[in-house]
Amino acid sequence: MRRRLLLLAAAAALGGVAFSGDRFWLQFLAKAMIGSILAMSLDLLVGFTGLVSLAHSAFFGLAAYLLAGLTNRFDLVNPVVTLPLCVAFAAACALVIGWLSLRATGVYFIMVTLAFTQMLFYLFNDSPALGGSDGLYVKARPIEGRAAAYVAIWAAVVLVYLLLSRLLRAPYGRVLEGIRGNDQRMRSLGYPTRRYKLVAFVIAGALAGLAGYLDATLYGFVNPAQLGWRQSGLILVTVLLGGRGTLYGPALGALLLAFIEHYGERVTDHWNALIAALVIAVVLFLPRGLAGLVQGAPRA
Amino acid sequence: MSLSLFVLQVVNGVEYGLLLFLVASGLTLVFGVLGVLNFAHGSFYMLGAYLAWWLSERTGSLLLAILVAIPAMVLIGLAVERLAIARLYARDHLSQVLLTYGLVLLFNELQRALWGNDVHGVSTPRALAWTMPLGETQTWPAWRAFTALACVGIGVAMRQIVLKTRFGMRVRAGASNAEMVEALGIDVRRLFAILFSAGTALAGLAGMLAAPLTTVYPGMGESVLILSFVVVVIGGIGSIKGAFFGALLVGLADTFGKVLLPGFASAIVYAVMAAVLLWRPRGLLGPAFEGR
Amino acid sequence: MPEALLQTGALTRRFGALAAVDGVSLAFAEGRVHAVIGPNGAGKSTFLNLLSGELRATGGLIHFRGADVTRATPDRLSRMGVGRTYQTANLFPELSCGDCVWLAAQSRLPSSMLFFRPAERYAQVGVRAARALEWCGLAERGRAIAGQLSYGEQRQLEIAMMLATEPSLLLLDEPLAGLGHDEALRIVELLRKVARGRTVVLVEHDMDAVFSISDSVTVLVDGRVLATGSPSEIRASPAVREAYLGEEIP
Repeated sequence: MRRRLLLLAAAAALGGVAFSGDRFWLQFLAKAMIGSILAMSLDLLVGFTGLVSLAHSAFFGLAAYLLAGLTNRFDLVNPVVTLPLCVAFAAACALVIGWLSLRATGVYFIMVTLAFTQMLFYLFNDSPALGGSDGLYVKARPIEGRAAAYVAIWAAVVLVYLLLSRLLRAPYGRVLEGIRGNDQRMRSLGYPTRRYKLVAFVIAGALAGLAGYLDATLYGFVNPAQLGWRQSGLILVTVLLGGRGTLYGPALGALLLAFIEHYGERVTDHWNALIAALVIAVVLFLPRGLAGLVQGAPRA
Repeated sequence: MSLSLFVLQVVNGVEYGLLLFLVASGLTLVFGVLGVLNFAHGSFYMLGAYLAWWLSERTGSLLLAILVAIPAMVLIGLAVERLAIARLYARDHLSQVLLTYGLVLLFNELQRALWGNDVHGVSTPRALAWTMPLGETQTWPAWRAFTALACVGIGVAMRQIVLKTRFGMRVRAGASNAEMVEALGIDVRRLFAILFSAGTALAGLAGMLAAPLTTVYPGMGESVLILSFVVVVIGGIGSIKGAFFGALLVGLADTFGKVLLPGFASAIVYAVMAAVLLWRPRGLLGPAFEGR
Repeated sequence: MPEALLQTGALTRRFGALAAVDGVSLAFAEGRVHAVIGPNGAGKSTFLNLLSGELRATGGLIHFRGADVTRATPDRLSRMGVGRTYQTANLFPELSCGDCVWLAAQSRLPSSMLFFRPAERYAQVGVRAARALEWCGLAERGRAIAGQLSYGEQRQLEIAMMLATEPSLLLLDEPLAGLGHDEALRIVELLRKVARGRTVVLVEHDMDAVFSISDSVTVLVDGRVLATGSPSEIRASPAVREAYLGEEIP
C-alpha cells in the first residue's frame, strides 16, 4: 500500500537523523515526535471514539511533574523504574478524571474536561511547593545524551503507532468505531459503552503521560503552561490538521505544526495570528485534514 | 472571620457572581439556541474592557465610554456571527471548538497589536467613586453596587423579554427546535444573528463593568471564560435561570475560596462543578431540550 | 399453556402531567407474535421504548424470564436476549452493511475488551454476521455503505442487525413504515420467517400485516389497554372499531 511505504520512509528518515549528530535537528525533531505521540493518542479519543477531550495536556503535564518530583525528591532516575511509574500515574489520573467526565455527554463532556485541565493548571501554577508559575528543573534525566533521548523518543513513536494500529483493528477498535457512529445504537446492541470510552480515555491519558515523561527527559524542565487548555487546543489542532481518525495523519500533523511554529516565529512577531488563520482555514476548507487530501475518497 | 468580613465576602461573591451571570447567560443562550460552543466568548469580555478603557481615556468619562462601547460590541458580534459562527451551525463539536479557538488566538493578537501588553487601570466615574460602610470595619465600593444592580436589572429585562415577548417566544422555540421554527417562516438567521450579538454585548458589558475593579490586561478573558463554562455546566445548557443560580454559586465559591484557602481557591470551584455533575449529570436545571 | 416470557404490571410513563403509557398490564407468551396496535398517540412507541429500557418507567413493573428488569439499562436487556428495531433507521451511516452487522454480532462475545488479535480472526462473529445478512437478503450488499442504502434495504439491515444479536424477544417498532406495497410484502415474509421459534412484540399500523402474522393483538388507546385477544376477536370487537373511528379499519 502506498500509505504504508510513505510511513515506512518517514520512520526511516526520522530514525536516520539520530546518526547525524546535528544538534538542532535532534532537538527539534525530538520535540516534534513527542507532539506526534500526543496527537496519535488524542486521535484515539477524538477521531476514533468521537470524544473531544481538552484534558489531554493535563496527563502530559502530570507525568512530567511526577518525574521531576521523583528525581528531585527521591533521587529516583532509572527509566526502568520511573517510566512505568509516571505512565501508570497518568493512567490513574485519567481513570479518575475520565470516570467523572464521562458522566457527562456531548458538549458537557468537553466542558468538564476543560475545567479539569484548568483546575490542574491552577494547582501547579499557584503552589510554590510544586514550583509555581516558574516550573521545576529536573535534576537528573533518565536518559542522558541528546542522541540517546532522540532514539528513545523515536522508538516510542513507532511503538505507539504500532500499538494503536493493533488496538484499532481488534474487536475493541470496532466498538470504538461503533460508538463514534451511533453511541445509543451500540448500547441497544448490548455494549456498555461508557466502559469502553473510559478505557480509551485511560489509554490515551497513559500515552499522553508517556509523551510528558519523554518531554521532561528531553528538556529537563517542566512548567504549568504545559497543562493548560491552550496546549490541549494545540494538540487538537494537530489532530484536525493531520486528519482525524487516521492515526498517521495526526502524527504528521504534529510534525507540520512544529515546523510552522518554528519558522513562523522567525517570520513575524504575530505568528499566533498565523496559526489562528491556519486553524480557521483548515476547519472551514479542509475538514478532513491532510490525510483527506492523500486519501481522496471518504474513509469507509 | 468577623461578621463584617463575612458580609463583605458575601456581597463581593454575589457581585462577582452577577458579573459571571452576564457573561454566562450569553454563552448559554448561544449554545442553547444556536447550538454553537463558543470559546471566543471570553475574548468579547476582554474586548469590552479594552474598548471601555480606551474610550474613557479619550473622553474622560467611563460611563460615556460604556454607552458608546455597547453598540460597538453589538456590531462586532454581528460581524463575527456572519463571518465565522454562521458556518458552524450543524457542524460537529471538534470544528466548533477549533474554529472558536482560532478566533481566540486572533483576538489576542489583535488586542496586542492595537493596545500592547501593558496593564491599564481604569478609574471609576467620580459620581460612583465613593464607598459605603459594611458593619464596623469594612467598606464596599459604590461601583460594585452599581455593577450588581445593573446586572440584576439586565437579568430581569432578559427574563421579561424571553418570557413575555414575541421575540422571546421565538428564542424559546428556537431553543427546542430550530428547524421547526424555520419551517414556520421565521427568519432563523436573523434570530441567530440578534442572539449572538446580544450575547457578545453582554460579555463585553461585563468586561466594561469589571474594568475599574480588575484593571485591563491581556488574557483577562480567559479565566472568566472557563468559569462561565463551569457556570453553564452547573446550571444546564440553555437555561438562563440555571446560569443565574450557577453564577451565584460559582461567584460565592470563588470569593470565599480565595479568602479561606488561598492556595486552592481555583480548585474549589472545579470541585463544586465535579460534585454537581456527580449528582446531576445534566446540570442543576438540566438542558432546555435534548440532543445537544 | 406457554409461559409468559415478558410481563408488565401497571406499567406507566408520565411526561409531566401526561401519561403516555398508563397502567398497562400485559403478558406476552413465549414463542408467539403479539401485535400492539392503536390510533396515533396511543403510546405504542413509548411502550416499546419502556420495554427496551431506553425510557425509564415512572411506575409499574416489567418482568423478563421472571426477573425484574424495570430498571435495566438497554445494554443489559440486549445481553439478556432482547432485540429491537426502530421506526426510523438507526444504523451506523458511515459503516458498510457488513460492518454494521459485524458490530451487532460481535456484541455476543463475552466481552469486546480484546486488544490484540484483529477482529476478523474471531470467526464465530463473522459466521453470525454473514448468516444474519443472508437471512435478510443482503448477502450481496455487504460492502455497501449503510447510509447510502435504499429505504427498504435499510429496513432489512435493521432486522439483520437485530438478528445478529440472536435475541429471544424481538421488539419491532413499525418495521413496515414508509414501505411500498411490494417491499412491505417482502418484509412481512421476512418477519414471518424470523418469528419462528421466537417471541415478538410488534407495533404496527399496517393492519394486513398485523392480522396475517400475529397470534394475539392488543389495542392501546390513550396509553391504556382497550382490548386484548386473538386477531379475529379484535377484528370483530365493536369497542375497537369505535376507537378507530375515522381511521382505516380492516
